[in-house]
Amino acid sequence: MTDFYQSGIITTLHQLGRPSLERLEGELLEHARTRPISLVLPALYSEFEGPAMPRIIEELTKVKYLHQIVLVLGRASDKEFQKARQFMAPIPYPVKIIHNEGKRVREIYETIKRNGLDPGEDGKGRSAWLAYGYVLAEGHSYAIVLHDCDIVTYSRQMLGRLCYPVVNPNLDYVFCKGFYSRVAGKMHGRVTRLLVTPLVRSLQFLRGEHRFLKFLDSFRYPLAGEFCMTTDMARVNRIPWDWGLEVGSLAEVYRNYSPRRVCQVDIAETYEHKHQALSAEDPEKGLMKMTVDICKSIFRTLASEGAVFSDGLFKSLAVTYLRQAEDTIMKYEADAAINGLEFDRHEEAKAVEAFTRAIGMAAQVFMENPMASPLIPNWNRVTSAIPGVLDMLRKAVDEDNR
Amino acid sequence: MEQFLRLILAPLGEVFGRFREFAPNLLAAMTIILAGILLARLVKWTVLRFLKVVKFDSWSDRMGLTAVMRKGDLWARPSDALGSFVFWVLTIMFLMAGLSALNVPAIETLVAHFFLYLPRAFSTLLILVFGYILAGFIGRAVLIAAVNSGYHYAKLLAEAVRVLLTVLILAMALEQLQVAPSIVVAAFSITFGGIVIALAISFGVGGIEAARRMIEKEQEKKEPKDIEHL
Repeated sequence: MTDFYQSGIITTLHQLGRPSLERLEGELLEHARTRPISLVLPALYSEFEGPAMPRIIEELTKVKYLHQIVLVLGRASDKEFQKARQFMAPIPYPVKIIHNEGKRVREIYETIKRNGLDPGEDGKGRSAWLAYGYVLAEGHSYAIVLHDCDIVTYSRQMLGRLCYPVVNPNLDYVFCKGFYSRVAGKMHGRVTRLLVTPLVRSLQFLRGEHRFLKFLDSFRYPLAGEFCMTTDMARVNRIPWDWGLEVGSLAEVYRNYSPRRVCQVDIAETYEHKHQALSAEDPEKGLMKMTVDICKSIFRTLASEGAVFSDGLFKSLAVTYLRQAEDTIMKYEADAAINGLEFDRHEEAKAVEAFTRAIGMAAQVFMENPMASPLIPNWNRVTSAIPGVLDMLRKAVDEDNR
Repeated sequence: MEQFLRLILAPLGEVFGRFREFAPNLLAAMTIILAGILLARLVKWTVLRFLKVVKFDSWSDRMGLTAVMRKGDLWARPSDALGSFVFWVLTIMFLMAGLSALNVPAIETLVAHFFLYLPRAFSTLLILVFGYILAGFIGRAVLIAAVNSGYHYAKLLAEAVRVLLTVLILAMALEQLQVAPSIVVAAFSITFGGIVIALAISFGVGGIEAARRMIEKEQEKKEPKDIEHL
């Protein structure tokens, strides 16, 4: 059980005591009658063969308040697409699987590209964006909830708690992000603990108070991949296709909505999913790639808010960050010690060194080309260029699922 | 024996003689067809290059032609589809011309019918393409006008207008193709007339009160008032 402290400029919804899942789902069923919910699942076919997906499917079969599931299947052949359909067959409400490698969906991407819009590279960002397009085309959902498909400790309580603040008309939040502790014998979530938070605080220290940095710092787990939002938001928000997906999405939420209508919710006591290797020597892989993309996303957002970056500022940032991160390591070491958790201080220090290098690389890339943006255009922009694109997408998905 | 051989060889010779007469026609037909296919390929390539230069695919996406193709579960590029269409039309035309070169009366009649039908098919295609664009344009204009007027069922109204225009265009296309023209015209008249009558009746019945109020208002304006207010 956590404390009940409200931090930052957004609302934090804690898990206090042991709230009844039956009550939560009962209320959601009632609210979903007027505010239908679509669940978006970006998945790779390989995840169907792992331990997480069977559990997720089993849990989802028990959910009664969802309007539909839209699963975007990546890296799958036609045969694997059919197998995925069989996997999802036990779910007793509509399930649409978007065959990302299928000829119809490929043609949708081609159509968008030839009209001068860039749907970005293959990945979670583009998959989520495409799924939002389908939900918008279908036109019956009020809210979209999204979570990953590699959560080994998945329970339907996560889903319910994510949806509740958005679909409950008395709360009426437009965006709700999940948070949880990534602890399984040791603390995980290195990028959040040792990069994002120290970096954001270093920038605040150097630049003074900034509302976007304050907004970002308000999130307990800004890199969590689980969130719920209104479909209106899915229409206007742009989505990054690179690893800056989570931070870039938060930047779009910040840009388009008041923080008063944004909240974060404690969705799980434990959370376990696949871990990325650090790849400290290769900035094109693993956590290093993720780190560079996240830093670029933060720099770009701040620049678009009027912040001026210079070589001097980046040099100071590297030093300030390093100090902040080292202090953070000490805090987590103490936290691990009191909780009897394994803590490898050397590994953590190596990660910080790698992240410092990544900040330098991101700074260099940003200074060379500050205009480069990995954002996929929002659906309003796409439909203004190609008026029939949502109908085409809907037709493509429906035909694939026929 | 010699007579027996003559009995066998005479029909064979006759067949050979007829084949010798027919062979140049066959050769001409094959040449026309092969040359036609090559020419069709060349024209297709040229058409594709031209369509690429004028950004036909993008235009098609914006005008809604791509959406029509997708509705019919056709997922090729619009330019590829048009290129293939041109290729097959030319191929069929050259096939017909080749068959005509065979000088077989039955085939010649068929070919003549085909070439007479071509202009109709072409004008039908034009009616369908421009009709679809026009229906989309008018539907959108109605939607915008209705939304701006604060009309509650704007989308429904725009969709109804679009469907009615599509029905009209389809009827025109079928009539142009001469596919059971009397039935098409009768069916169209009944359907379209029925819809208009239904709308007129519903408007009339539903609008009696409104019409009465309007008439009374007009009459009130015309009648001089007894009391003049200061």
